[in-house]
Amino acid sequence: MNHSESPELKETRTWKKRLLYSWIITIPVMVLMYLPMLFDLKILDPKIHSVILLVLSFPVIFIIGFSTLKSGFRGFFSFYFNMDSLIALGTVVAYTTGILNFFFPIQNYSGISAMIMAIFVTGKYIESKARGKAGQEIRKLLELGAKEARVLRGKEEITIPISEIKIGDIMIVKPGEKIPTDGIITKGESSVDESMITGESIPVDKTKGSNVIGATINQDGILYVKATKIGADTFLSHIIELVEEAQGSKIPIQKLADKITNIFVPSVLGLAALTFAGWAIFGNVSSAIGNAISVLVISCPCALGLATPIALTVGSGMGAKRGILIRKGEAIQTMKNVKVVIFDKTGTITKGKPEVTDIIPLEKTSEKELILIASSLEKLSEHPLSKAIVNHAPLKKYEKVSKFKILRGKGIEGTIKEKKYFIGNKKLMAENKISLNNYFNQIEKLESEGKTTMILAESKKVLGLIAVADSLKEDSKNAIKALHRRGYFTIMITGDNEKTAKAIAKKIGIKKVIAEVLPEDKSDKVKEIQEKGAFVSFVGDGINDAPALKQANVGIAMGSGSDIAIESGDIVLTKSSLRGVVQSINLSKATFGKIKQNLFWAFAYNVLMVPLAVAGIVHPVFAEIAMALSSITVVSNANLLRRKKI
Amino acid sequence: MKKKIVVDGMHCASCASNIERSLRKIPEIENVSISVITKKAIVECEKEISDEKLAEAVKRAGYKVTEII
Repeated sequence: MNHSESPELKETRTWKKRLLYSWIITIPVMVLMYLPMLFDLKILDPKIHSVILLVLSFPVIFIIGFSTLKSGFRGFFSFYFNMDSLIALGTVVAYTTGILNFFFPIQNYSGISAMIMAIFVTGKYIESKARGKAGQEIRKLLELGAKEARVLRGKEEITIPISEIKIGDIMIVKPGEKIPTDGIITKGESSVDESMITGESIPVDKTKGSNVIGATINQDGILYVKATKIGADTFLSHIIELVEEAQGSKIPIQKLADKITNIFVPSVLGLAALTFAGWAIFGNVSSAIGNAISVLVISCPCALGLATPIALTVGSGMGAKRGILIRKGEAIQTMKNVKVVIFDKTGTITKGKPEVTDIIPLEKTSEKELILIASSLEKLSEHPLSKAIVNHAPLKKYEKVSKFKILRGKGIEGTIKEKKYFIGNKKLMAENKISLNNYFNQIEKLESEGKTTMILAESKKVLGLIAVADSLKEDSKNAIKALHRRGYFTIMITGDNEKTAKAIAKKIGIKKVIAEVLPEDKSDKVKEIQEKGAFVSFVGDGINDAPALKQANVGIAMGSGSDIAIESGDIVLTKSSLRGVVQSINLSKATFGKIKQNLFWAFAYNVLMVPLAVAGIVHPVFAEIAMALSSITVVSNANLLRRKKI
Repeated sequence: MKKKIVVDGMHCASCASNIERSLRKIPEIENVSISVITKKAIVECEKEISDEKLAEAVKRAGYKVTEII
């Protein structure tokens, strides 16, 4: 990809050049046109005056305006009209009156044609500049990637362009440098600034074995990073793809505007013809031509067509900067109806890294024995709770387990040395008729502290309890508070038991808890709440919750760094903070508000101004000024979105 | 399958709707997402569509393809 000059910059530069040349010629044209009128002078013979106007206006229309004429008139052959068709026809008709003027007694609009083109070009220049500004964050994202990498080849350090990195290459990243591509640290430690991806300003500590994201910046130490993903597979590439794709995604409110844009130009052409005919019959040919030109140049499909996408661009750019990726434009509109926010517990409200807090051996079991049996069983499972137990006290040797079975949502069973063991929750014990009566108080106490309690039993005998807790994310509480202030109802959903879940919910202030839900049933729970008539937003990590995210009216997938399923969710948060949820809601509402405003102005403009032009009240020059202003207004208004605090 | 078309000369909202209309005439295409801001059209289709066919549709609407990815 060539990064030397963006297409936007090139476009702005082209319009700037055209603007300059067009006014250099048009200003003398204006002097020539209006001086005689103002001072009632007759310096030149009217015929010579007309010829000079024609000669001067020619380059403005046919050289500076060449690309506009070409693109516009092509529409008359292919029936794919665009806004150039209107300007092209308007200016050429106006110019032609200067020639017809020699043969018929009609008004000469040839000087006006140059003015129209000059104003059009000026408007385009201003619009393209504003449009460039609107897309600045997204453009920055495209340019975020590193250009070069220093890699180890054999014993040599060589610098290669980013495109030549291969998976498995060891990259050497010095302090202050960008990490070239996604990878895993093999040597060194440092803190890494990931703000460009996650919007989080605090650098993240990384050490051997940590994953790093390409384009983030190494802060203090030298890092040796093994490349794990390259090219289109990197996290940054996925983000760019997602953001770019979202630009073209349709928002329901835009539908009517789109329909009008589709038929706009042919309708205006028809209207201009009618205006001409009407005025020719009931007025005179001169005013008929003038008014038809006004109709052609005042009508602007751009304001209507740009109203939504430009606001979406500014909004999604603002989001991207804060680690909020709007994947579906529709979510912006749906968000305003959302009243209930459902949070998944693990990894969303909590850090998702459960740790063992209590080990309670019972019935003459030693702590050592309890850990040995529990770890031997849990080692065979991938569940986060299992990992917490195994990681708590890594052993040198584990018992051999046979007849191992994972009982989803309940626990594990397995046989060690011909003794059958169960480890899991109360449900599992109840199903196997293991009495917990003697330990009820102990279990209850742990649960009321928000700890998930697992019970180890051998046939009917309880051997001990292991409590695991997952610490809350620091800012969860504030985020929930902010949601309540805005009038949202909050629910936490989890596979945990009721008591533990309620203790956690109470700690951060969540109003309702739906506990003991199997992962696959989460989407049904969402559906149940929707059936009561509420619009629901579901917040989850996107890995286990994909169906629930899809079922919700707005699915918000969140994770930290590259640890996230980016394809799920209407909105994706690349940071792990719940603050992102509040920000997403604010951003969606602000962006949608801007879209509504823009659409209102664009509709109002056309509904008011086009009839005025038909009625012959607007001079062609003012018609063109109004048109230019209308699309500039829409784009500039979208840029004002940046002032909103998100 | 997804293809990204970079279009030259797409400078106004009706340009975008022209290109979308022309692309939608290709029966294999299921979805078109086009942006006048990124000047890109993303088409989704089940069956493979040749780049020539896509370029032709863009040309029919009066625009030029810079790149198909």
